[in-house]
Amino acid sequence: MSEGPLDLPEAAQRRFSQGAFSSGLSVSDFGACLDMGLEPVGLVQGFCAMHWGAYSMSGLGRGTTPFTGAPGAAHGYVQNYQCPHGMISSEHRTWGQNYQQNWIEDAWRTGFNSAYSRMMAEAQALGAHGVVGVIDGENPLSDTGVVEFHLRGTAVRVLDAPAPSATPWSTFLAGQRLAKSFEAGYAPVSIITAVTSVRVWSYCVTEYLLGGTGGMWANAGAAEIHQIVDAQNEVRDLARTRVRASLHGDVLHGAHLEVSAREIGPGDVEFQSRLSGNRVRRFKDFDPLPVPRPTVRLS
Amino acid sequence: MSVPPTTPRPRLRDEVRHALFDQADRVTASAEARATTSDLSIDEELNLHSIGWEPVELVSGVSLHSIPFGYWNWGQGEIEGASMAHATAFVNATTHLLREAGAAGGHGVVGVRIDRAVHSTFVEVSLVGTAVRPVNRSRRLERGVFASDLSARDFTMLMVAGWEPLGLATGASFVFAPRRSMGAAIQQQSQNVELTNFTEAMYSAREAAMQRMQEMAIEMHGTGVVDVKVQEGPMSFASHAVGFVALGTVVRLAQAAHRLIDPTMVVALDDASVAFDARTLS
Repeated sequence: MSEGPLDLPEAAQRRFSQGAFSSGLSVSDFGACLDMGLEPVGLVQGFCAMHWGAYSMSGLGRGTTPFTGAPGAAHGYVQNYQCPHGMISSEHRTWGQNYQQNWIEDAWRTGFNSAYSRMMAEAQALGAHGVVGVIDGENPLSDTGVVEFHLRGTAVRVLDAPAPSATPWSTFLAGQRLAKSFEAGYAPVSIITAVTSVRVWSYCVTEYLLGGTGGMWANAGAAEIHQIVDAQNEVRDLARTRVRASLHGDVLHGAHLEVSAREIGPGDVEFQSRLSGNRVRRFKDFDPLPVPRPTVRLS
Repeated sequence: MSVPPTTPRPRLRDEVRHALFDQADRVTASAEARATTSDLSIDEELNLHSIGWEPVELVSGVSLHSIPFGYWNWGQGEIEGASMAHATAFVNATTHLLREAGAAGGHGVVGVRIDRAVHSTFVEVSLVGTAVRPVNRSRRLERGVFASDLSARDFTMLMVAGWEPLGLATGASFVFAPRRSMGAAIQQQSQNVELTNFTEAMYSAREAAMQRMQEMAIEMHGTGVVDVKVQEGPMSFASHAVGFVALGTVVRLAQAAHRLIDPTMVVALDDASVAFDARTLS
């Protein structure tokens, strides 16, 4: 399926051409949107089912030498760690590596962006100026490594406004929260989501420290586990850097940063960071509100 | 679609149209402008703006510190290795958070979300918050950058009342509950009786943890600690160890005297409204 509005399923085009609108807005948000002059025109959605083959190859991810990055990681973060013990053994991890898993990030981006652009294509087909109350989901479809990306939101048209000439804007906000955003001087531009993935292939010191046996090696003892800390900080920093690069000087509001860890084996961990929020643009200069007056609600 | 008649709100409608269509007047973003990121809600940002502060950057800090194997199983008194590991991990994570905030031009970090996990062989501390500063004042302060787990709303109220946050203070203590003798254990098998070894261990852990948090507050020249959260209980992986962790935001009076905020009593005439969260639909 391509991303153009003309490639919408025929049934969807037929449905859109009918009179009644659909919307994911609650009644209070629906009312707030009408107050703002935003008229709902349809519940728009985008799907993309991605085969997550990259994960099944996770055991092959480590670089072949401590002097290069992992296969497929032509660019991005790579950090090597050398054993301080000078031991050579088939079981002793003489080197370790942290590396960015670009192929996973690319696959995730492809899935998310496809679903997003399909949702926006539906909005364009409806002649919408924007999409409010976007909800994004990511669910496994089956046990075969298939992940479904699903985005939905309510397409809106600005009352008494000229037909849209550009790509619609989008926001996770709806109703009163969107109204407050406008009143605060921020116009929505788009939702932004970035996922980054860093794999840790531990070396001996990390393995011992995680297992609590660092004390057996006199120079390890109780200490900060640098390799994991580096990976944890890097996976967050990469997500922030990626989001900042796509802001082009705008502001990210309501950011939500979450990091998940997946232990693949002893000392073999994958960290995934997801940062999402609303890209907004200031349309009027800073205009502070009066200092809020504290109230105690009697109820 | 025919739109039902609604109460006209020309100001908001004008604002929306101005934001979306009056491109000429729009303060357009430029590639040179530094993008700002924040996990604050619009309400929180408006609160900050009302006292002349603004968000600058989403910042984070993480630390993991190891605990050597066997520390939890046998011994007496405090498990110092575990308490020390917790303190070091917290300090390291905070240092990283503050360094990021300082590099972004922040004067402090508010709404710090604290995720902690104590495992048998390591302690993990993760902090995420939004660096803030007085509006358009990127110059660094002479004093250090502060971190606070107070929300932007609470930070605003604190400042309005004439106080200022100085930093996060924490205290943690993990203590052995001495094992009972075989005779005592058998004797108490069928009795409803207080296990004083656990009670005393909990008191011991609490005193040490609260003392450490207080010492951190004094080091920061704080007057006190607000919004203290405590977490206590047995350790799931060690049957004879208990832990107590306390953390909060160190504050001090920034003005000559506390300013009364004098809240107004309100009686709402409508039903309590439920705030809509789009994510609840998924």
